[in-house]
Amino acid sequence: MTQRPTRTGELLSIDGLKTHFYTQDGVVKAVDGVSFGIRNGETLGVVGESGCGKSITALSVMRLIERPGRIVAGSIRLADRDLLALSDEEMRDVRGNAISMIFQEPMTSLNPVYPCGDQIAEAISLHEGIHRREAGDRAIEMLSQVGIPDAKRRAREYPHQLSGGMRQRVMIAMALSTNPELLIADEPTTALDVTIQAQILELMKALRERNRMAIMLITHDLGVIAEMADDVVVMYSGKVVESSDVNTVFEQPHHPYTKGLLASIPRLGEKRHRLEVIQGVVPNPLNLPKGCLFKRRCPSAMPVCDTPPPLQEIQPGHLSRCWLTPAGEPPEIGADAEAETAVAAAAALTVEA
Amino acid sequence: MEGTQVTRIPGGAIPAVDEVDLTPVRTYWQLVRQRFVRHRLAVIAFFLMAILVTAAIAIPLLSGDAWKETSLERINQPASLTAPLGYDSLGINTFARLMKGLQTSLFIGFAAVLVIVFIGVTVGSTAGYFGGWVDNALMRVVDIVLSIPTFFLILMLVAFWGTGNVWVIIIAIGLTGWTTAARLVRAEFLSLREADFVQAAKALGAGDRRVVMRHMIPSAMAPVVVAATLGIADSVVVEAALSFLGFGITPPEASLGNMLTKAQDYFYRNPLLAWYPGITLVLVVLAASFLGDGLRDALDPRQRVETN
Repeated sequence: MTQRPTRTGELLSIDGLKTHFYTQDGVVKAVDGVSFGIRNGETLGVVGESGCGKSITALSVMRLIERPGRIVAGSIRLADRDLLALSDEEMRDVRGNAISMIFQEPMTSLNPVYPCGDQIAEAISLHEGIHRREAGDRAIEMLSQVGIPDAKRRAREYPHQLSGGMRQRVMIAMALSTNPELLIADEPTTALDVTIQAQILELMKALRERNRMAIMLITHDLGVIAEMADDVVVMYSGKVVESSDVNTVFEQPHHPYTKGLLASIPRLGEKRHRLEVIQGVVPNPLNLPKGCLFKRRCPSAMPVCDTPPPLQEIQPGHLSRCWLTPAGEPPEIGADAEAETAVAAAAALTVEA
Repeated sequence: MEGTQVTRIPGGAIPAVDEVDLTPVRTYWQLVRQRFVRHRLAVIAFFLMAILVTAAIAIPLLSGDAWKETSLERINQPASLTAPLGYDSLGINTFARLMKGLQTSLFIGFAAVLVIVFIGVTVGSTAGYFGGWVDNALMRVVDIVLSIPTFFLILMLVAFWGTGNVWVIIIAIGLTGWTTAARLVRAEFLSLREADFVQAAKALGAGDRRVVMRHMIPSAMAPVVVAATLGIADSVVVEAALSFLGFGITPPEASLGNMLTKAQDYFYRNPLLAWYPGITLVLVVLAASFLGDGLRDALDPRQRVETN
């Protein structure tokens, strides 16, 4: 795979990342050749159904993939550092310091045996080696920064004494306590009520402006993407199927999967009897179809889809992994082109993201 | 955003939560105490254990050598103010000797449990955290130790290393008794390893050692505490059995076990001599068991206290 040219000012660049899991039933290619980048201060939304490899991509960046999983190929660079080449110790210093992560479940992501303030203080003292009391004061400050009233008192409370929204605020405080350059948020609002979701998103936006950090926002909620993201990467079965800026993805989606996702959102004031859904389920990762991974569920599937589709540039900055031409027509080589012709055509159309 | 209550705190652009929660803040130990107190039998057991331990420390200290002073004049004398349980066949103050014996037995019980917890937690956490072949190897060692009839192994160890030595008995009980603790800790670790907060700790940059010591062991301790308190009961019983057979604490040193041994010689003439250490043994075992039970409920921070 050719090296993806680094866009200027890119903070995180992922190139041809492959994270595979070696299970007893075979190799699960959870992430299979994913490339994207995040610029300084930018928010990138990573969208996709459960099991499409969003979280594994995030954990790969943190290098927290556990057996039987392994990063088998690709590169992950943070500014000028190659994260995959760092020693375990150097990587520990990156985690929680340069890159922080917040998790989906605020209910279980805090250690139940320590007060919230202590946990934030631990994060601070881990990286800055400052005195415990000082770290404790900073923790209280962080808690009030994330909008927790009466922070001094809350700092002494245990996670089970707080509500879900409050706990997610504590998680955010913990993640931001070391001023990371990149925040990875893995479905930060999925476990929360809608009203609390809105609060948390507001909070993340405000903190993003204040700290000028980049955010990699993983979600399956397109509403969250519309609210937060600058750029969007749509993933399906371990691959990027479409990527562009947020307006293009919402207004001119190219890939049938993205179109399907957008069509399945109910709209206010629109009379429809049934919500449109994408037929079928995500393919079994142990038994992936040949060619396009989406073809079995795709309304525009054609014979040529048995050959892996090219990742084409639809317009500058807008990529889509589909045989359809930018105008949405069947490819010039014909919908039922011979396999060899198709492979050659795919190679010609493919751009390295 | 209808229904969303976002208020702005002055001076900052950060929206604050508008949640009113009047739960008073309680520290961990306050919570533990509240939960423990609800457990009535455990409270009784706690006081019983406190009385036993205090008596075992204080009375031998106050009564000096009374627990081994023989006297021909006092042989089988009945109870009096200075000897609430009378005198035995050698003219020794039975109560003083009983307390000295209790002291020895409790000391062995607690010390052996410390050894058990130390080995058990170390082995169990290593196996559970690293998994794979480390886990396999360590758990096979556990299986091997478990397959040996413990009591005979202890007998053998004591016979080889020196009968009558308190430390030998402690080590022997410790070396054979850690398997349950190791299994409990391993099981806890296997599930804790997948816990989100462990993942979160790693994502914050905590190393293996910190994750294990600070984040996993405290959460895995509840079953260990229970196992340990029950282990006190076990160890006391094992010590009594060893001494009863003559491999444990040998006279003139006192232990509940060797008092029982001697009592059987006078069983028909003075059966009470067997009842005293016997009942004391039962009290120790019961107190330790109920205490363990109460602590298990109290130490679990996920349990809430109902507000009355």
